[in-house]
Amino acid sequence: MKNFIRNMYVLLLFASCSNDDYQPISYENPEIVLNIPEGFPDLNITAITNAPTKYGVELGKKLFNDKRLSADNTIACASCHIQANAFTDNLTRAIGIEGRIGLRNTPPIQNMAFMQFYNWDGNTLVLENQPLVPIITHEEMDSSILEVIGKIKNDQEYIELFNKAFGDETVTNDRIFNSIAQFEYTLISANSKYDKVIREEGTTFTLSETQGYQIFKDKCISCHSTELFTDQSFRNIGFPINPDSEEAGRSRVTREADDYLRFRVPSLRNIEYTAPYGSFGQFETLKEVLDYLDNGVIEAENLDPILKDNGNKISLTEAEKTHLISFMKTLSDTDFIGQ
Amino acid sequence: MKNFKKYLLLSFSALAIISCSNDNALVANNVTLEFNNTFGNETIVLGNATSTEATRNTSAEGQVHHFEELKYVISNIRLIKEDGTEIPYNVNDLDNGATVVNQAKTETLKYVLNDIPTADYSQIKFGLGVKTSLNTLDEVSFPNFYAAAGENDTQMHWEWGTGYRFTKIEGFYDTDNKTLSFHSGSTIDEDPDDTTGESFIQGVDAYRDITLNLPTMAIVGHSAPKIVIKADFNKFLSGDTHTITLVTTENISNNATPSAHTATEMMKFVDNIGGTGDTNTTGMFSITNVEN
Repeated sequence: MKNFIRNMYVLLLFASCSNDDYQPISYENPEIVLNIPEGFPDLNITAITNAPTKYGVELGKKLFNDKRLSADNTIACASCHIQANAFTDNLTRAIGIEGRIGLRNTPPIQNMAFMQFYNWDGNTLVLENQPLVPIITHEEMDSSILEVIGKIKNDQEYIELFNKAFGDETVTNDRIFNSIAQFEYTLISANSKYDKVIREEGTTFTLSETQGYQIFKDKCISCHSTELFTDQSFRNIGFPINPDSEEAGRSRVTREADDYLRFRVPSLRNIEYTAPYGSFGQFETLKEVLDYLDNGVIEAENLDPILKDNGNKISLTEAEKTHLISFMKTLSDTDFIGQ
Repeated sequence: MKNFKKYLLLSFSALAIISCSNDNALVANNVTLEFNNTFGNETIVLGNATSTEATRNTSAEGQVHHFEELKYVISNIRLIKEDGTEIPYNVNDLDNGATVVNQAKTETLKYVLNDIPTADYSQIKFGLGVKTSLNTLDEVSFPNFYAAAGENDTQMHWEWGTGYRFTKIEGFYDTDNKTLSFHSGSTIDEDPDDTTGESFIQGVDAYRDITLNLPTMAIVGHSAPKIVIKADFNKFLSGDTHTITLVTTENISNNATPSAHTATEMMKFVDNIGGTGDTNTTGMFSITNVEN
């Protein structure tokens, strides 16, 4: 197989010599065109500069599922980012090697190519910078990038994939980070019932879903706006507070008192699959979240003004809660979660 | 070609012999930085909550406190000649130009700079922390510093920020020994999507450049000077910029500051120990003396 590839390269080399317009790399490893769903924002610049390629994505997916990224070979990215849960898990807080418990709820991985901020506190702005964090974090994989490179660089399958994706078999940290990001850029969810209704593909909302959509537009859309169902702002909405003294919300990044316990508004897409909810899984069900907002949230100086103006709550009748949940479930994308 | 290689080899051997016979001159071009971590004039002794040996300090606001752990990163070291010429010391190489000063490990209190050009030096500059361009936890480029900073008893990786912890202090305050925990580091980041050229930047830069005048010239080449640098942690709570009162909650009214991690108030401590970066470029540091 290896010889065959080499021969192919030699052939291609000759071919390129005889024809200047010929581009062997794009022929060997074509770019994957990311279709921007209707109404979505533009792609991030890094999704263009580190555009997904056929083998880059294949390599990224393999790394994403490889438990050797963790110190004791027990945890892969995919251990916490499970496709059936829209690439999160069903735990309150993430659990790494040796049962170590992390600070926060695992965020889903979807529509990353369009996101300006990553993680609950938005500490990461460039997706390619993120894969190193779980690899080295004590409560997650507790490994190091040299350890990872050492484990995979002599693996025949990786040698082949690095070759195909990047033109030679050298395993570098940047190639690992770029290929994982490339894989994640392809995880686009925009084929839910909601999308089909909006695109008028012959599906319609039920009565309850229609009512839920109206309530959503009346009471939720100021934060869960755009087709990503988040305005990507940081807000303190008075949820129960994480007792871990490390937790400061957005102020961990900005060091501004105003940002204390502010978190990024989460997307509502595939919300049905991403329980429990809240930055450390405070709520087991969507109903619990709505009950909490209805009963009133914890007061704070920097509590979101929308809540403050409404008596620190979002009042909802039981029927409204039922309809809202019906609507939120129309954001479930069964293709995306592989069912 | 073969001959050329032989000559090359020969000249290398010759050089090797010359260097061997010239050891003294090389050593005389070493400069030792010695860090003396103090409360005022008293060198700090670490200790647990109930330790009787630990050095106790009282802040300007009357809070007694002592430390159990005390670490900080020094990097970007430059020596300045009498005529103003700056001699950078591996400033872009964390493996050979940066160190973690750890009060619990005596060997880390001295840092030797090698092969400093023969001259008289009147000033030293260094960074408290790691400048942003190098602060990426890049194990591939700087495996030795990465390993030293990441050791279990050092813990100077700030994983979530993919940077280094610049300072790590664990200790106790007030007579009932409440927990004091301070970690500092940079969170500064640029928006990759901003093509306007005025990149939106989020986060803070906790790196501080320190400039200290030497009371007597360090005469490198003639002798191997030792520069004794005092880091006065009395300034941690009672600094030139901020007078800090510690409290146990994140309620930061009354100008009080949370004692644990201090997410919102980290920069007050940074300004106190590292200076403000503009008007104050000494922070807690001063030169005790230069031994030639």
